[in-house]
Amino acid sequence: MKFRAERTEFAEAATWVLRTVGARATLPALSGVRMEVAGDRLLLGSTDLEISSTLSIPVQAHRDGVALVPGRLLGDVVRSLPNAAVSADADADRLHLECGNARFDLRLMPLEDFPSLAAASDDATPAVMKADEFAARVAQVARAASTDDARPVLTGVYVEATADELVLAATDSYRLAVLTLGWQQDVEGTVLLPRRALDEARRSAEQLGSEVRIAFEDSQVGFDFGDRQLVTRLIEGSFPPFRQLIPSGYERRLEVDRADLIEVVRRVSVVGDANTTATPVTLHLSADTVRVTAGSGEIGEAEESLPGVLEGDDLQIAFNPRYLTDGLDATGTQQVALEFRDDLKPAVIRPTDETDDSETPVDFLYLLMPVRL
Amino acid sequence: MTGTRPAEPILHVDMDAFYAAVEARDDPRLRRRPVVVGGTGGRGVVASASYAARRFGITSAMPMAQALRRCPSAVVVEPRFDAYRAVSADLHDIFRSVTPLVEPLALDEAFLDVGGSVRLLGAPVDIAVDLRARIAAELGLPASVGVASNKFLAKLCSRKAKPDGLLHLPADRAEAFLAGLSVGELWGVGQQTGQRLADVGVRTVADVRAIDVAALTRLVGAAAAHKLHALARGRDDRCVDAAVDAKGLSAEQTFSTDLVRADEVRDTLLALCDRVARRLRAAGVRARTLTIKVRDRDFTTRTRARTVAVATNETPVIQAVVDELLPTAWSPPTPVRLLGVGASQLIPADAGVQLDMFASPRWQDVERVADRVRDQFGDAAMTRGVLLGRDRPVNRASSHDDLSSAPDG
Repeated sequence: MKFRAERTEFAEAATWVLRTVGARATLPALSGVRMEVAGDRLLLGSTDLEISSTLSIPVQAHRDGVALVPGRLLGDVVRSLPNAAVSADADADRLHLECGNARFDLRLMPLEDFPSLAAASDDATPAVMKADEFAARVAQVARAASTDDARPVLTGVYVEATADELVLAATDSYRLAVLTLGWQQDVEGTVLLPRRALDEARRSAEQLGSEVRIAFEDSQVGFDFGDRQLVTRLIEGSFPPFRQLIPSGYERRLEVDRADLIEVVRRVSVVGDANTTATPVTLHLSADTVRVTAGSGEIGEAEESLPGVLEGDDLQIAFNPRYLTDGLDATGTQQVALEFRDDLKPAVIRPTDETDDSETPVDFLYLLMPVRL
Repeated sequence: MTGTRPAEPILHVDMDAFYAAVEARDDPRLRRRPVVVGGTGGRGVVASASYAARRFGITSAMPMAQALRRCPSAVVVEPRFDAYRAVSADLHDIFRSVTPLVEPLALDEAFLDVGGSVRLLGAPVDIAVDLRARIAAELGLPASVGVASNKFLAKLCSRKAKPDGLLHLPADRAEAFLAGLSVGELWGVGQQTGQRLADVGVRTVADVRAIDVAALTRLVGAAAAHKLHALARGRDDRCVDAAVDAKGLSAEQTFSTDLVRADEVRDTLLALCDRVARRLRAAGVRARTLTIKVRDRDFTTRTRARTVAVATNETPVIQAVVDELLPTAWSPPTPVRLLGVGASQLIPADAGVQLDMFASPRWQDVERVADRVRDQFGDAAMTRGVLLGRDRPVNRASSHDDLSSAPDG
């Protein structure tokens, strides 16, 4: 394998595939980046067995071939390269890299231990979304997924795709985000995607722009960004029947400025114990005012009020401040509605207006379990 | 929990020839030989001498050259303070597992007030027996323990118990026990004071008791006189001064036969999770951080911790976290000598409970009822199906609960 590449392009490509390099000590080969020269392109790939990434960049190819390069080392090298063209030449066990006057001689890893990289099948017709829209929708929902591996199903984002609708849902059992997006696509499938895979896809979409083609298959989902692809395995198990958790009505409804409420909650929750983000904030709702309080006699107390219009009886209800601001953040519109039954039943945050600047119809809700005081 | 405070709640634990014992443990060739730990350079002094070396008259702080003249065949070992500190940390963990009231005096020595632990762990003397057994089993080292009504007497007892012994001094026998001791054994009586007393014929504790405070004051000054007067009668009202940091609580179990099977390890952990959860509930707290501890046959100890989003005191939640941590700390068939489950970052249970949309409130009710049954009828009254037949494991060298912050003490 021998090629010559443009430095910035090579460095950026290597950095991108490094995101899915495996960290497991049990399979050392996963810590490698696969490099292949075929035709006039350099193909880079990595996998942690859950998510695989592949991309290709144009190079001056001198000799086809394949090599497995230690990922972290490659990353350190490309970050430090001087600004000049990069020449690479791999023999049986070494990769020689030259850039300007710098020379690196990297020991290769045994290629035979590296798993074959997952690729999207050509049969599946992908759904096509604008990259920024995709990124925004994922960001709204994925944050509600659990980061706790104790309940693997909850670390996933539920995705239900049909010809005219895409439903995304995620929950860590304390809050639930559900987004329904109208679209016209020739796809159908219900899958549970690792939150981490969706976050990687979102970051790539934000970075690359343009379009994302999403291919739903039986055992995997592919995200295609043109010359780069992410393929993720699915989480097994069934996502909890979340629709039955969504209350069908409410007894109280508050309309409030979203950014104002976020700001007040963040400020007041400063008196919470820094070690336990779980120190709740309490909302005291009355006809035209929301009073937010937090803290305890031991640490300190804070309160602040802001205007809000309440329909229904006064209510006092407490939440984990981070879960509350996450939900307000995700809702996106200038005004939001919070629907309540009582202080121990789930609250629902919804957008109230159409200031959301997307051209497609979107329905979003964020259900939030209160803290019992 | 309330209970009657026992008459002799104070333990003084002191390791025997600590550095030398650690060296002998780690190098079997040193066992039973005169071992001297200390600097070998020109002005090196003895930091610790094994009992075999002490028979030659070697004592701590003696110049190394002099020690070697007394016993030329002694094995001199360079001190490994890092190793001693590591053992010391484990030792103090064991101390804190029986009471939060631990006053460390040295790497290898501490006072413990176990007055609050008797309801859970038994009489102080039983706790002392168990402590020595655990120190032997878990650390492979000898310790001497004194059990008495106050710090002064407990320390006196541990000294009399050495090496590798236990001495329990019932409060009503303290005066008789003291009477025959020489004045020099009273705390704070140095050579000068001792000489001044000897000059007037005061040699034993009984002699001290025979003269009044005024006479004593003329001899040794007011402060020392009052102290002597009290100590000679076995009185010492200083309390165990624990630098308490309410870090958390834990439950551990050491096995007389190492565990190798995954199902045994899991079942034991479940029982430990259950105990920790129950004690969290009894203490009215929830924990955000859960820890698993696995000690191998060769004393290699691994602890793994995880902080959960919502503080818990429920067995299934703790167990789920522990299950997930286990593969990172242990894989079969590595023989396991000790297992532990710990809970820390405690917050009051009533600080607010994050409700869970999938949690069945019934589970919490089940646990609450089970707690009440076990409080009333003992631990064996109610158990999980999977633990049936294992509640009194034959293979249980020692088992204990760490009370370091539970207010049930």
